Amino acid sequence: MPPELRRVDGWIGFGLLLAAGVAVPLLTHDSYHLDVATVTLRNLLLTMSLRYVMSTGQLNMAHVSFMGIAAYASALLVTRAGWSFWAALPVAPLLAALAAVPVGRVALRVSGPYYFLISFAFLEVLRLVFNNFFVDYLGGPSGLVEIPPAHPLPLTGGAVTFTSKLAQYWLMLVLFLASAAVLIRLEFSRFGLVNGAIRQGELLAETLGVNVPRYKLGAFVLGAFFAGVAGVFFAHSQRVLHSSDFGLEPMVLLVAFTVMGGVGSVWGPVVGTLVLAVASELLRELHHYEILVYGLVLMVVMLFFPDGLVALPGRVARWFGRGRAKDGASTLGAGLAP
Amino acid sequence: MLLELRDVSKRFGGLQAVAAVSMTVTAGTIHGLIGPNGAGKSTVFNLITGVLPVTSGEIRFKGERISTLRPSEICRRGIARTFQATTLFREFTVLDNVMAASHLGAERGFVRTLLATAAYRVREAAALARARDVLGAVRLLDAAGLRAGALPHRDQRALSLAMVLATGADLVILDEPLAGLTTQESEDAMKALRALRAGGKTILLVEHDMRAVMGLCDVITVLDHGVRIAEGMPRDIQANPAVIEAYLGAEDTRA
Repeated sequence: MPPELRRVDGWIGFGLLLAAGVAVPLLTHDSYHLDVATVTLRNLLLTMSLRYVMSTGQLNMAHVSFMGIAAYASALLVTRAGWSFWAALPVAPLLAALAAVPVGRVALRVSGPYYFLISFAFLEVLRLVFNNFFVDYLGGPSGLVEIPPAHPLPLTGGAVTFTSKLAQYWLMLVLFLASAAVLIRLEFSRFGLVNGAIRQGELLAETLGVNVPRYKLGAFVLGAFFAGVAGVFFAHSQRVLHSSDFGLEPMVLLVAFTVMGGVGSVWGPVVGTLVLAVASELLRELHHYEILVYGLVLMVVMLFFPDGLVALPGRVARWFGRGRAKDGASTLGAGLAP
Repeated sequence: MLLELRDVSKRFGGLQAVAAVSMTVTAGTIHGLIGPNGAGKSTVFNLITGVLPVTSGEIRFKGERISTLRPSEICRRGIARTFQATTLFREFTVLDNVMAASHLGAERGFVRTLLATAAYRVREAAALARARDVLGAVRLLDAAGLRAGALPHRDQRALSLAMVLATGADLVILDEPLAGLTTQESEDAMKALRALRAGGKTILLVEHDMRAVMGLCDVITVLDHGVRIAEGMPRDIQANPAVIEAYLGAEDTRA
């Protein structure tokens, strides 16, 4: 598919996300449903940004840590330094991105399982810092509390506030759509192509002129920035932060959502996150056995559909149209993003 | 001269893979690098393209010292290569493989890309046109929409050559470009390589098919156990006692 058409594809996908996002509050005002929808949008932002990092072949286990850095930074800027939420909103993610530069540099000195271990170590170290250090500021084991909700929108004379579930949903939707627009745009530009090239053949990409470490670091830092955006929203919607919010369990869930959907396509994490959001509602009765089901599903997907759920239509089409023109449909989520 | 190796050595622990090799590649020629298995040919390619660092000596390209640069920087200066095992971006379409290759070297600003400025679009369109040209040159234009991993071996070879060409490199380095091809395919490939030379490209290749090497190359350098034992025109190489010795002494005597 020629690049110019692919870009159109990107905007169609974005249009669907926009339409679905706007439809939710029209269909329901139930606060529980709005809550679920808001959390799903936040997860989408996290998985789409994680997938951007993973699209360069990095299984970054510290993604949620950068969400944490921005969440704590924003909470402190607002509660201690008296900043407005609207000032903290761009600054806290920038701080997370800044912190990602040295972390990424260190992790990218190695590859494969070692990269995984270093990023995992950073995740644990940072969680322990949140939990045990600077207790006066970070709140320690009992958490950082009394974080105010997002302040009223400036320049509206206090008319637009974010205390209701509905208003919070709209805020999250705008943050998500703005971030998704950037990530989708990048995917269908040369950056997406270069990232995919690095994932499939690092050495080949390097000998064809890509400064691989620089692109990988760039993806790592950009991913941290968007994780930070989710973190700021998290801080001011939950209004309390615990170190465990940024530990292994949420991280594993993000990876599960992303991998299940498929890392090869920008729509992979969308599919994975939405499917699992629905599944999680259906499995609510199971309580903490829920994660067991995720684990099983993840194993099945990785064994039988290594390209993720998003590639399923293309795979099925190829099974049926074996050897015929269908082979042109790539495994990169054929049907959704050929 | 386009490329110059001066006393280039590579040592892997106790193994001297390449020992003080010097050679020069002249612009506009097809230069063959031959030798028995384990002679160090692929290592020399890896040293030239920066995939491995040299232990000592230096490599110059267009007069500039390149032996301390990253592979990507060397590629940007005009050297591109294929690998012995065919390497492609298998999940990408054929067109995307070539687009990727022609993009990879070209830095474009993050913000300009994000906003798709007019200048960005112009260059994007140019890259697409160039990719189609290159695919036409290797007769893969009809396969442009297919997934690269699904191509037959011959077409995968042609595609990896197309990707090298798409970088715009002046010096094209090919590691066994004829391996695994039928006689007819091999003839076609040789014709294509001659056409490249006529188009102003310089080609440096490793190849085991001696008949092809002798028929194709303007100059041949012979390596044995990491040492350069001969260099000259095909006629002279065929008559060189040291070369005959090296090949007869080894088990590989396809010459």
